[in-house]
Amino acid sequence: MQVDEKLVRQIVEEVLSSMGQGTAAPKLEAAGAAPVSGVEFTELGTAEKGTKADEVVIGLGPAFGLYQIKTIKGIPHAAVLRELIAGIEEEGVTARVIRVKHTSDVAFIAHTAAKLSGSGIGIGIQSRGTTVIHQKDLDPLSNLELFPQCPLLTLETYRAIGRNAAQYAKGGSPKPVPVENDQMARPKYQAVAAVLHIKETEHVEKNAKPVELKVTFK
Amino acid sequence: MKRSKRFEVLEARPVHEDGFVQEWPEVGLVAVDGPNDPKPGIKIENGVVVEMDGIKRSDFDMIDQFIADHAINLEMAEKVAAMDSKELAKMIVDINVPREEIIPLTTAMTPAKICEVVGHMNVVEMMMALQKMRCRKTPSNQCHVTSVRDNPVQIAADAAEAAIRGFDEMETTVGIVRYAPFNALALLVGAQTGRGGVLTQCALEEATELQLGMKGLTSYAETISVYGTENVFVDGDDTPWSKAFLASAYASRGLKMRFTSGTGAEVQMGYAEGKSMLYLEAKCVYVTKGAGVQGLQNGSISCIGVPGAVPGGIRAVLAENLITTMLDLEVASGNDQTFSHSPFRRTARTMMQFLPGTDFIFSGYSAVPNYDNMFAGSNFDAEDYDDYLALQRDLVVDGGLRPVTEEEVIAVRNKAARALQAVFRELGLPPITDEEVEAATYAHGSEDMPERNVVEDLKAAQELFTGPITGLDVVKALAKNNFTDVAVNVLEMLKQRISGDYLHTSAIIDSNFVVKSAVNDPNDYAGPGTGYRLTGKRWEEIKNIPFAIRPEEIGQ
Amino acid sequence: MVDKNALEQIVREVMKSLQESGPKGGDNPAVNADQGLDPARDYPLTTKRPDLIRTPTGKSLDEITLDKVLKGEVTPQDVRISAETLRLQAEIAEKVGRPQFARNLRRAAELTQVPDDRILAIYRALRPHRSTKEELLAIADELESKYNAKANAALVREAAEVYERRGLLRTA
Repeated sequence: MQVDEKLVRQIVEEVLSSMGQGTAAPKLEAAGAAPVSGVEFTELGTAEKGTKADEVVIGLGPAFGLYQIKTIKGIPHAAVLRELIAGIEEEGVTARVIRVKHTSDVAFIAHTAAKLSGSGIGIGIQSRGTTVIHQKDLDPLSNLELFPQCPLLTLETYRAIGRNAAQYAKGGSPKPVPVENDQMARPKYQAVAAVLHIKETEHVEKNAKPVELKVTFK
Repeated sequence: MKRSKRFEVLEARPVHEDGFVQEWPEVGLVAVDGPNDPKPGIKIENGVVVEMDGIKRSDFDMIDQFIADHAINLEMAEKVAAMDSKELAKMIVDINVPREEIIPLTTAMTPAKICEVVGHMNVVEMMMALQKMRCRKTPSNQCHVTSVRDNPVQIAADAAEAAIRGFDEMETTVGIVRYAPFNALALLVGAQTGRGGVLTQCALEEATELQLGMKGLTSYAETISVYGTENVFVDGDDTPWSKAFLASAYASRGLKMRFTSGTGAEVQMGYAEGKSMLYLEAKCVYVTKGAGVQGLQNGSISCIGVPGAVPGGIRAVLAENLITTMLDLEVASGNDQTFSHSPFRRTARTMMQFLPGTDFIFSGYSAVPNYDNMFAGSNFDAEDYDDYLALQRDLVVDGGLRPVTEEEVIAVRNKAARALQAVFRELGLPPITDEEVEAATYAHGSEDMPERNVVEDLKAAQELFTGPITGLDVVKALAKNNFTDVAVNVLEMLKQRISGDYLHTSAIIDSNFVVKSAVNDPNDYAGPGTGYRLTGKRWEEIKNIPFAIRPEEIGQ
Repeated sequence: MVDKNALEQIVREVMKSLQESGPKGGDNPAVNADQGLDPARDYPLTTKRPDLIRTPTGKSLDEITLDKVLKGEVTPQDVRISAETLRLQAEIAEKVGRPQFARNLRRAAELTQVPDDRILAIYRALRPHRSTKEELLAIADELESKYNAKANAALVREAAEVYERRGLLRTA
């Protein structure tokens, strides 16, 4: 095994990050605090399967917050991610963020996250905003809760999704987040959603493994 | 710029809410003739296709290989490849060339060839062709019955109403996946209360959908998706082989099934390889043929916003329906998803299938208001019933629906809700109150329904799914509570899977439980005065909408 | 080892083929014999040829009544299609010019012998990136030896070849 600077840096970062988790993990501010506009991701190496039963893993699509920075409705990815995390932490559960690179399909992103999650619960989110709550033992195209109509998702919905995911992680049976349904979203947004998905799919790396991320909001 | 008042008025029109986009051919955002669409051709050596549409066998992806090895009638393939595509198009439109002479030719075409052939037709010619090429002589219709709150009582009542309104097939799905067993059960009981013989299904993840069928809670399946590029097929978590195995699995349990596909799916899922929506859809139709499945739901389906946004998209959607019939497959022809804010565009899009008639004109007319439609809305919904009845009557077209009276609708909704109440009680599921029965009897949508305890329902629904209860227990529960006629209907639906008659192409089941399919009701259209004609009792029924004034009552 | 159900089925098919008159073709007469059906005369079988239809438990259609359901004399096994009936429907499909559909029904006839759970498991194993080549080939062998499902075994072997060539096998 070759030891180089990159590897050392990666190990140090991982250790630092796990220390942070072991002690008082910095709690993110609740909604209503100063709005975040930006987010920075630091790749911490291949994401491993979690050992803590009280965590939810959030899987980001290949372009999320990098090549695209807002959802189809123009909500900044930074704010979306913060709400998801805040919803999870509100329930006393730890959020871990990974980037899924091998697929842009939201079901597989979520299933990948769920399989790496210590609790078996994961959330998958695409750049356009489509979100799924998944459980590791379900078929990939099944789900616990699916939010397919991305133009209808608000920051409140994302926070509720985080909360519910955390409750599943604790073994609960939360009341599902009310399913939004606007039958006219398709004719208005579908072609645009397709273009956004094509642009996300351009960043898929078929053989890349999911990567652990350190998330810094600005 | 100082704004033109004219332009301001135009911009306020509903059509401006639609998302139109320019073509982006390099990624496949184009209806027909994509930059990477191959040229037609086939080479066969020792009975094996060694080259198809310019691709060598060694370069075949899994879809090419499946099509080449299973889908094409090879005996005629080289002969048809050499025929002029425009001449073939003329034969298909020509009323003097019967369907049975066309099928051996069209089932021997390659995907690129069949696209080239239909490419010569305008939409009127495609409608002429569709009128002749659909498999079953009698046209029919399917509806969606769903609830945004997955309310089972409402689903049962709406299914019963939809049955007396004339739908031969009903499809439900879920807001929350774990509700599926309840929705399937409610649809079954409601539909069989309305009319014995209506086919019901619950759209779910593939393996779960099969399990519900095995339990006897559904009688057919439709949402078995296939795709036109390898990447998207794999993202759909299947291959042509897994889907072919699944098809046989359904038949082995005596369950009818069809596949689903549609233009725009590949580009929507990000892997269209620079090929046009129609060419990729043609490959889906061939995969269906090769898997030995009797039919296909297509017409863009859930992707309709994509072809709907580009030039020529709605013509391509008609073309995909036509290609399905040219491969001798049942077609459930879409019209099942919200497509436009403009009532003109909505209607024009549906006329393409309504006028020629198809096996199922809609593969989901929404039998509930669109706010309750969990397929994200259909092109026509429960609020359009009377418009649709008027269209049938104006144009003397059988669109599959019949006029009903308010009294009969109220009565049948009430009976279905009470039947489901009895079944829930008998099977130990969370109770359905009399208040819920009353609400469902008179409801328009879920907003008119009392809330149920969702957490309790979901727990019971999971137990129903994993437990030993089958369709036979539903029969018993109904009979014990004096819903004998409904019990007999549910039992007759279970018996359909013993004989397998309804596995055949384009099968529907009449109220005497006799199957009508392309085998015993084959389309024999050969020009004016032939094929299906709307006459006699059926025309009298369609004529007599209750909201037409009787001349003798005018001035009285 | 031949299990009891499979043995029963073979005996039943042999008995049936002995009772049939007329010439038989193919190397597996019990399975592939033409029963002389005429789609125009004999379809739908339920109304035109109920005499030919038996449930996997050997019952006729008119033995499945509400009365018997209520007495508990009808089990889920009685409301299933038999392999023989599927082959009759396959014959109809062939005679109306639908060979691919007929092959599907013949594969289905084989799968009537495979339990629900096993069917679901095999379907899942055929999904992309789920199985190694060896695992798929083992399933094919199982289908062939345990259930006499030759056409299905061939389909699975074909899948194994294609999955290998196109990188669709399970890697880890």
